[in-house]
Amino acid sequence: MRQWIRVPAGPRGVALTGLAVVLTLALVAMLAPAVVPGSPTEISKDLALRAPTLAEPFGMDDLGRSVLSRVVHAYRVSLGVALGSVALALVLGGPLGLVAGYAEGATDQLIMRPLDVLMAFPAILLAIALMSVFGTGVALVSIALAVVYTPIVARVVRAAVLAAKVEIYVDGARALGATVPRLVLGHILPNAATPVLVQASVLMAIAILVEASLSFLGVGVRPPTPSLGLMLADGRGFMLQAPWMVVFPGLAIMAAVLGFNMLADGLRDWLDPGSA
Amino acid sequence: MWLYAARRLLLAVPLLLGMSVVVFGLMRLVPGDPAVVVLGYKATPDAVRALREAFHLDEPLPTQYLRWLGGVVRGDFGLDFRQNEPIGRMILDRLPVTIELTLLATACAALIGVPLGLLGGGRRGGAADRASLAIGLVGISIPDFWLGIMLILLVSLGAGLLPSSGFVPFVESPAENVIHLILPALTLAASRAAVLGRLTRAAVLDTVRRGFVQYARAKGLADRAVLFRHVLPNAAIPIVTVLGLQVGYMLGGAIVVETIFTLPGVGRMTLDAVLERNYPVVQSTVLVIGAMFMLVNLVTDILYGVIDPRVRQR
Repeated sequence: MRQWIRVPAGPRGVALTGLAVVLTLALVAMLAPAVVPGSPTEISKDLALRAPTLAEPFGMDDLGRSVLSRVVHAYRVSLGVALGSVALALVLGGPLGLVAGYAEGATDQLIMRPLDVLMAFPAILLAIALMSVFGTGVALVSIALAVVYTPIVARVVRAAVLAAKVEIYVDGARALGATVPRLVLGHILPNAATPVLVQASVLMAIAILVEASLSFLGVGVRPPTPSLGLMLADGRGFMLQAPWMVVFPGLAIMAAVLGFNMLADGLRDWLDPGSA
Repeated sequence: MWLYAARRLLLAVPLLLGMSVVVFGLMRLVPGDPAVVVLGYKATPDAVRALREAFHLDEPLPTQYLRWLGGVVRGDFGLDFRQNEPIGRMILDRLPVTIELTLLATACAALIGVPLGLLGGGRRGGAADRASLAIGLVGISIPDFWLGIMLILLVSLGAGLLPSSGFVPFVESPAENVIHLILPALTLAASRAAVLGRLTRAAVLDTVRRGFVQYARAKGLADRAVLFRHVLPNAAIPIVTVLGLQVGYMLGGAIVVETIFTLPGVGRMTLDAVLERNYPVVQSTVLVIGAMFMLVNLVTDILYGVIDPRVRQR
């Protein structure tokens, strides 16, 4: 129980490693056509199920498409859905949590009770139910995830607002005659920054997992859009002849999710040491 | 204690009602005529009319909702138009598979996760701690469906050890039943074990700081005795809460795992119904799984009160 010995990596190291992974993948996704010259959708029958080589380190799929090229392009979908859904959830859930936490009482109940109902469903179940109603596609996956995330964001913001409201410096600002908008935006909201940043990072990780799961199950992104989940669904049928079809897309998902989880873990310990 | 449990139960009723409204409302948002969606575009006008009548689709929405809710409360989920079978019976047939899978996975998660956390939290900063932290971080980042595919590839197809699909009822052959559920349960448990491990570590580290642990150590008790007699019982409170949340999460994860391992559970029934646009079935299974999720959380809440008397006072 040698508590005085610090974990060598340190929370800053963990956060920065996570950030490096995430930024690298984002850069790869953005510059996809330059990183992998081959087309992700070009079919060449004579290359079908070709094992990994130096030129094509991830091998070829059943239609002779480059697995590496498809993984890189699929990151665009993964990260795009993650970014879009979290941004939308922040826009929707942030103000709701802010108002609920600041007003308390009846307003709080009116906002939070319906959100509790949404949170009462397992996340992936709610996402599947939403997809079954509204159909498949990149935009719809993002919207479905945003609906699942909105109550979570609202809760985090509300909790931070409730905690900050009773701080002495807020009373001080109020005594000095700060208006309500100034009080909320200038003194209370900044306290929500750390928990929201950590939560957003966790939600990005989960979004990548859920998008891949939904696409794998056939209720997410539509083919021929390259998606890591779709690639795994295709690869299942060729597991024995071409294991690279399932190994690399899975590792790709894991790398991105791990990056965001490390970022969240590191940020939490670094910015808010008391909670760990 | 009973008052606390009763209050929690009472709070669950509006939540359940809210869930039923969400599920019912969601399925009414399906674009187009539900009768045509269910029957397909080649359906004859007569068939469409018959279905509209059978489902009371011509009545106002609130009436439809109350009629549906009245049936659900009595365990009557209506008739599945494709299979011509009561949906309630179909769910009842598949529920034991999902429940057994979830229970088995919960046991796996607890048996892997708690020791992992104890190993780390007992010696903060040591090699074991860093290893358990790394395992935890990787564990929560592995996509469960990919883990399932890898297990099938390596264990079933590669080593030929365990079956990769199918289900044998417990009453037919208990041994075969468990053998068929080992890989699915491990798949479902892996990420939850990682979450539990991380939480156990945090709970242990939090408890170790307390005065009574310092006292136990000061009076010369061995590390192991301190850990098991003083630290673990106190760290158990948050562990139980999070375990409850994980059971609920697994009910959702069961959809994915049952699909990969072709288990005839409620999760796969839900996905099949979604893919077939069989909305009456989707509506019923989503509500049943959601209600089970809520029930597990309710039991956890009450258990929390049993373990920690301070919670009851609030």
